[in-house]
Amino acid sequence: MITYLVRRVLQALAVLVLVSILLFGMLWLLPGGPKQAILSGVHTSAGLAGVRRDYGLGSPAVLGYLSWLGQVLHGNLGYSYVENTSVSSLLAASLPRTLVLTLTATVLAIVVAIPVGLLQAARRGSATDHVIRGLSYVGYGMPSFFLGSILILVFAVREHMFGAEGPQQPGVVAMLTDWRDLTLPVVTLAVLTLAIFARYVRTAAIDSLAQDYIRTARAAGAGQPRVLSRHVLRNSLIPVITLAGLSIPRILAGALVVESLFNIEGMGWQLWQAALKHDFPVLLGFILVIGAGAVLGSLLADLGYAIADPRIRYVRT
Amino acid sequence: MRRALRRHGTLSLLPLRRLRRQAVAACGGLLAVGLVTAGCGAAGANPGGDTPVGGGTVTYALQPNQTPDYIFPFTNGNAFTVANTDTFQFLMYRPLYWFGDRALPYLNEKYSVADPPVYHGQIVTFKLKKQYKWSNGTPVTAQDVLFWVHMQQAVGASDWGGYVPHEFPTNISSIRAIGQDEIKMVIVGRYSRLWFTDNELSQITPMPLYWDRTSATATSDCAQVVSDCAAVYNYLNGQSKNPGTWPGSPLWSIVDGPWKLVSYSAQQGLAFKFNAAYGGPAAKHHIRTFVERPFTSEEAEYNVLQAGGSNGLDVGYMPTVDAPVPPPGNQLGTNPVGGYKLQAVYVWGLSYFAYNFSSADPQLAVASQLYIRQAIQLLENQAAIIQGPLHGYGKVTAGPVGGYPPTKYLSPLAKRGDPYPYNPLEARTMLADHGWTVSPATGTLTCTDPGSGARQCGKGITRGTPLKLNMYYSTGTSWLESAVLQLKSNAAQVGINILVTGQTFDQVIAEVTGQACSSGKCPWELADWGLGWSYSPDYMPTGDELFQTGAAANLGQYTNARNDELIEQTLHNYSNADMWKWENFLTTQLPIGLQPNGVSALVESIGSLHIGTQSSTLSINPEEWYYVR
Repeated sequence: MITYLVRRVLQALAVLVLVSILLFGMLWLLPGGPKQAILSGVHTSAGLAGVRRDYGLGSPAVLGYLSWLGQVLHGNLGYSYVENTSVSSLLAASLPRTLVLTLTATVLAIVVAIPVGLLQAARRGSATDHVIRGLSYVGYGMPSFFLGSILILVFAVREHMFGAEGPQQPGVVAMLTDWRDLTLPVVTLAVLTLAIFARYVRTAAIDSLAQDYIRTARAAGAGQPRVLSRHVLRNSLIPVITLAGLSIPRILAGALVVESLFNIEGMGWQLWQAALKHDFPVLLGFILVIGAGAVLGSLLADLGYAIADPRIRYVRT
Repeated sequence: MRRALRRHGTLSLLPLRRLRRQAVAACGGLLAVGLVTAGCGAAGANPGGDTPVGGGTVTYALQPNQTPDYIFPFTNGNAFTVANTDTFQFLMYRPLYWFGDRALPYLNEKYSVADPPVYHGQIVTFKLKKQYKWSNGTPVTAQDVLFWVHMQQAVGASDWGGYVPHEFPTNISSIRAIGQDEIKMVIVGRYSRLWFTDNELSQITPMPLYWDRTSATATSDCAQVVSDCAAVYNYLNGQSKNPGTWPGSPLWSIVDGPWKLVSYSAQQGLAFKFNAAYGGPAAKHHIRTFVERPFTSEEAEYNVLQAGGSNGLDVGYMPTVDAPVPPPGNQLGTNPVGGYKLQAVYVWGLSYFAYNFSSADPQLAVASQLYIRQAIQLLENQAAIIQGPLHGYGKVTAGPVGGYPPTKYLSPLAKRGDPYPYNPLEARTMLADHGWTVSPATGTLTCTDPGSGARQCGKGITRGTPLKLNMYYSTGTSWLESAVLQLKSNAAQVGINILVTGQTFDQVIAEVTGQACSSGKCPWELADWGLGWSYSPDYMPTGDELFQTGAAANLGQYTNARNDELIEQTLHNYSNADMWKWENFLTTQLPIGLQPNGVSALVESIGSLHIGTQSSTLSINPEEWYYVR
């Protein structure tokens, strides 16, 4: 297991380096080069000096990359001349908001999707299965801006049960405890994820239920609850682990529509604004973090497989 | 675009910063004289009583993604936005002269730090009002003005967002203090008093001498020595970074305006407390705390406004798409938000799309034909745009001077309304009369009678040339996108093929001002980056910045000797007659496409709060706001 872990971590680090080279190379390939891209909004001589320092402008591309990488490794992701603040501070402000929103929604979706998926599998073809499947399709197909708008109009504007915007207080704890403002954006985001997860769990559980070991368990006298919880659940988690791992970059990248609708200045909204304003330092810094998240997610998913299915860890690639 | 364009400091042409990118108003309601009035039409509003109540807090919604991000009032082009200047810096650091007198964009002596300037030939003097003091106890003096002007002289060309080449401070030969509170300048050249006050002195904001330093411990002497100013600028510009450090900063907490910044959060907003040392005018029972809240989108803001509650807004705005259509004869529709009063704010500016007269345009011969521009203008249905996508909240643009609010600068002819009302039949006839015939194969007009004759296609247009025009337009403003598509559709009906390309505001500006337009092919004939131009900090709408040959903001590179001559007359010896003469002439030449001026903001203020009529310059005076019961 340790060997497997070390090998995967080393692979992840190599991928991260490749991601950083790719990102920096793309900046270099922009029309006009990195100087024009980054300096487009810089009007002061002090700003010019800062950009030259952060991105190694004036040096060959390789030295520029190493200079930039050195800055990144020291925690300096650059400076946004559009927002007049450091990329790190933008990240520090937006990342917790996005994590609270998307992680909460993802956890909520998983917690609900697993029993729902198992229930559907256990009652495959029943009215319950059909109804839940229909609802899943609705949830999956409903645009988040539409669902969010409906929820706001009904539960915030008309009934005043919840807030019309996401939590505004700084700090993860303050946001998590602000259930009144957190509920609607989390529910809006969770509905889509829940529908997807439930579908995968259902399919995996149906496959498991058809396996010989399940028949054996039943022959040994195991009841339906025990079969589902002890034998089906673990094997049905493989696709959930895959989805959860693949969700990490999405979790980090935020949820543009929901963030915009619920007034949450998270990663998705910041990235979108940076793209509109050609704010390349922010784009570069944020995408690097999201890329790192993607690599980390893949790594965690692999480790999750190994835990869920011991056969996986012994397979050499 | 004053500043309007500001955020895009990408341009080397500084006046471009005044190109307006979108509705930027923060709050404001404006109204033209005798037309919309504050609070009118606010069915369902609860105006409360009329007894002022002292104190209280106002929570005010900033426009989407318009959170102030630059505090140093000597603002560079990148930060030259309404959000930074009018709704942020002006609260703390008062400009020498304040513009915006209720709805009208005129000099407002009441809020100005100096008395009106006195002109004797080419010498101008002005005295600072004695009641203005910095919050550290020192008075606002002539040295504070010198500090600003010297900084403009030192780094203005590169670092002052309102800089116009060859104008202030290049057009003064000397400036000096006379005693503690008086300034004397000598002007180079001959300018009208009105123009010099409204377009040049309007740029100045006195700065406290405490800021005259190059580090926290090293003082400097920019107020006396111009060569000292660059280092001072670099220090102050650096201190303006990282907004979280502004509250409590020994630099930025020295203010002469009515408000002091006490907290800053990009998510939660900015909080201001009333400056007890403020010496200027304020309502007797004014509010004590002013909070500006940022929003990610109009929809998010409107949801919060409608939901109300403890996190609600006292002053917000309604998206145009949700605006109630006014009944015939009214300026406002029935306000759908209960308990709030509605105002419509129109910015003091000019709404237009540009034509490309650059020699780099391969279609220059087509765009140069006046009759073609007239035909296109006849296909621009301003009335339909106002009644359709603008929901009735728009004003017709009738010439090269902003038509709303109706100022003294607007000619009687322009006040009559659209000089080219929608008339596709006339457009079709006009083109046919000049040798254009619809090609059966393509459905597009092609030139079948080339030549320079009065009834031929025109100089440079060859036989078979299709009437095909490229148009870049800025996406993101729904009514504007509808207007562009409507023009394309209207043009197609008569055989003009307008190829529209939607881009971000930045991209449109980059296309229009980019390298291609100076050195190679410049492949656009029409460009619409949004809402044209806002007159600030140059409040007098003379054409020297937009239409004069070689002017930095003359993006279409229009040139006309008669036009230049008429503009010069408006600069040097102002009279309404001269202004109107130029205006009427240029209206016939159509160097720009005239399009409606869409409402900048539909301001909603809670019924128990009195905010008065807001300014078309988009500046705000929350020190004049008070609650009533």
